[in-house]
Amino acid sequence: MRSSLYKYEKLRCPAVVITTSTQIRPNCDPLSRNIEVATLHLSLHTPAPRHRTTSHVFLDEIATMSALGRDFFKAKLAKLPAMPPPPLGALPEELDELDIDDDDPPDAYGHGDIDDEHPDPPLDDSSSASSASSTSTIIAPPPMARPELTARRRNNLEPIPWTHHFSENLHLTPSSNPSSHFNAYYTPSSASGPLFVTHHGAGSSGLSFAVLASEIRKILPDAGIFSFDARGHGGTHTENDQDFRLSTLSDDLYDALTAAQEQLRWETLPHIVLVGHSLGGAVVTDVAKRGLLGDKLLAYAVLDVVEGSAMDALQSMQSYLMTRPVGFASVNQGIEWHVRSRTIRNGRSARVSVPALLYDYASGGDASVTSSRPWQWRTDLGKTQPFWQDWFIGLSRKFLEAKGGKLLILAGTDRLDKELIIGQMQGKYQLLVLPEVGHFVHEDAPEKTAVALVEFYKRNDRSTLVLPKKVWEM
Amino acid sequence: MSDLDGAVELLRQCRPIPELQVREICFKAREILIEEANVQIVDAPVTICGDIHGQFHDLMELFKVGGDCPDTNYLFMGDFVDRGFYSLESFLLLLCLKVRFPDRITLIRGNHESRQITTVYGFYDECIRKYGSANVWRYCCDVFDYLALGALVIGAGTSVQPTRSADGDDIETRVREAEDEVEIEVIGLGGVVTRQMLRREAGMINSTNLTPSALPHLSSSGPAGPLLTGIPGTGASGNSRGIATPNNAPANTGGAVLCVHGGLSPLIDSVDKIRLLDRKQEVPHDGAMCDLLWSDPEEIDGWGLSPRGAGFLFGADIVKQFNHLNNLTLIARAHQLVMEGFKEMFDSSIVTVWSAPNYCYRCGNVAAILELGEDNSNAVLRSGGEEVLFNRENTRRLASTYMGGSMKRGGPGRRYRVFEAAAQDSRGMPSKKPMPYYFL
Repeated sequence: MRSSLYKYEKLRCPAVVITTSTQIRPNCDPLSRNIEVATLHLSLHTPAPRHRTTSHVFLDEIATMSALGRDFFKAKLAKLPAMPPPPLGALPEELDELDIDDDDPPDAYGHGDIDDEHPDPPLDDSSSASSASSTSTIIAPPPMARPELTARRRNNLEPIPWTHHFSENLHLTPSSNPSSHFNAYYTPSSASGPLFVTHHGAGSSGLSFAVLASEIRKILPDAGIFSFDARGHGGTHTENDQDFRLSTLSDDLYDALTAAQEQLRWETLPHIVLVGHSLGGAVVTDVAKRGLLGDKLLAYAVLDVVEGSAMDALQSMQSYLMTRPVGFASVNQGIEWHVRSRTIRNGRSARVSVPALLYDYASGGDASVTSSRPWQWRTDLGKTQPFWQDWFIGLSRKFLEAKGGKLLILAGTDRLDKELIIGQMQGKYQLLVLPEVGHFVHEDAPEKTAVALVEFYKRNDRSTLVLPKKVWEM
Repeated sequence: MSDLDGAVELLRQCRPIPELQVREICFKAREILIEEANVQIVDAPVTICGDIHGQFHDLMELFKVGGDCPDTNYLFMGDFVDRGFYSLESFLLLLCLKVRFPDRITLIRGNHESRQITTVYGFYDECIRKYGSANVWRYCCDVFDYLALGALVIGAGTSVQPTRSADGDDIETRVREAEDEVEIEVIGLGGVVTRQMLRREAGMINSTNLTPSALPHLSSSGPAGPLLTGIPGTGASGNSRGIATPNNAPANTGGAVLCVHGGLSPLIDSVDKIRLLDRKQEVPHDGAMCDLLWSDPEEIDGWGLSPRGAGFLFGADIVKQFNHLNNLTLIARAHQLVMEGFKEMFDSSIVTVWSAPNYCYRCGNVAAILELGEDNSNAVLRSGGEEVLFNRENTRRLASTYMGGSMKRGGPGRRYRVFEAAAQDSRGMPSKKPMPYYFL
């Protein structure tokens, strides 16, 4: 076994890893029921990081690979770039087939790993301590890996449960606001690690950051992740799920965090890096500008939203929303649509994030729902229109003015508005443009986003900040 | 290379030149640049320019305002490419001029002269668009690796020859009466002298950060009166105490001026240490070479974290110490957008020069270039254009002097020429980028 592993590393040859896992979760809400599935999890795995291979189960069948299998891997290997290809800026690749297991968009520098659709190594067992106090917390069982072999890997649209990426699912009720019930996915940080607190965009859910969470912890195992569903989204329920005012949403983020603090018995809030995507970018910027987290906020990162271009795009948003399917026959179809339409360009992420976006209205007894497409959007984005302007007006100014490290990650092209261009050229914040990704930057390119966020955290980590000595002290 | 002049001619019309010729020019340029030092020595007089960013028509405007190359000796402090729509033509024109007149133009490297940055901010896409392949981009990137990291201007004079106004009742006369030197002159839009600052015993500029606050287009009031913060020719009022003039000062030098794109590095305490770097590589993500191209001055003590994610922030103490140790009187750098075109900081120990007006075609800023005159000549050597500038009909002059203090300030005489973006209709603007379709 060991020698065969070594051989694969030498060959840099992908190996198939199959895991099956079944998670049973209490029926706390209809959403979580959707995820209660036995998952057949096929994955293509390149055993690059040495320390991880031990956590995977490799099959004897793989070790003594059949000629057929070798051919398959050779074909796969041939598709990998031998040399870093030139950037593909002007040449978007055609997606002529649905190749869901090619996790990442074309990589401009060719180092994208085809690694790890496989679930991560068991998360730190620190969860037992932090969750003992919480009765409403679900602890993810360590991912089970039961060997089974197949060479089939295409078109796997099976949902992946949250347990592959987070250690706990929290149900938080802030004491200050008992009518709100926030659903959050959480992996605790170790003692000194930062907590990345994420806020998804409109119509998305906390699981949008699931793959990113795993990627962050791969690079920075001390980091914790707290990704909650905003009101009207995912598993969160409040007294008014239609109140999408920006101030309400940023209050919610603070409430959810303080509720987590009570429930998990944190003495103080940990050091926090806020990460917001789209609408979530506007929310975290608002939280930063209002100073809600005080000096616990180290830095904030905004993913693919810019006031100027968002305001321009709002006009065409309703017509875009019309083009989306009303519903899907199954969750798998929903995943397929997201990948095929390139809304989410990473099957691995779509499989974990999309299920939370859909709700089986037929099972909810709604007679008006066509039974052929019962899985419909959980959040009616059209109804959020009255709030769109409120979300984005003043975003650029607030982003530049708020205290803390600032990072803006944009997808594809540099589409800064005037205020941000001036700010950037005066060196007020860090800008990163990721080529060849769509709007869901963190889902399309989770590794690169994670690298950027961890780097960003390290630069802004006050506890270890050592500035250079002055010239005459050297 | 006989058709070099032809290439320059084409490029001046903002037309791309054939790929083979680009290759040839880049090869030739590399041969010249490889001979240059990390810190290239440049003799005054010289005109120092900041970021260009592919704004070709504004580069033409710059040459109009500052004089043509080779008549004027130029030093460009990097960031030739990206963001603007004509990175290719702008950079190749400068490069052709470098090959044609190697001693009359100096190019140093900016943080955008890098493979990684240009793939994201436009230059790579532009090359693909205009040539159908990445070859030209590769040739240019190879040249980037050879660009100098900085330049040291020596032999600059302590004063600039005051620019005369059209009405004859000029500042120069009054200055002469006062036996004062003009240390700083700002020529605003339309060649109008907007500000002159005399070198006084004074020392203390009442603001540590000088910006041209009284540009004509910014103050709509017609008469110059209210803007006169000091009386022209103040020397007549008796405050002058025999300041050295070019005629009686034996060592009349403005000292050396270090030019670099970004700023200082904590790993570099002397100009000699810059000379030790191996510069022929892609700009690294950290280290001294990265810092020189990425850092910014800031109102802090010592070093600080740069919000850019690369380089550092450095305070007045760092700059003053560095200048003192290296016998510099000024650091000139670019890298940061300054709405007024230039900005002196830390008691004029460092200046930011920004030469891309209306940056990205929407920022609404003016641009500037900095002229350093020649030692003892008391004149900035330029050919052509000067009389035109002097004789603009609406010439106004505003002079301001600063008094008080008792220490003579060092530093070269500096003339800033402020200019605006070229007229909109003179440039063919490509259509707007497609709108992102989903943004919630």
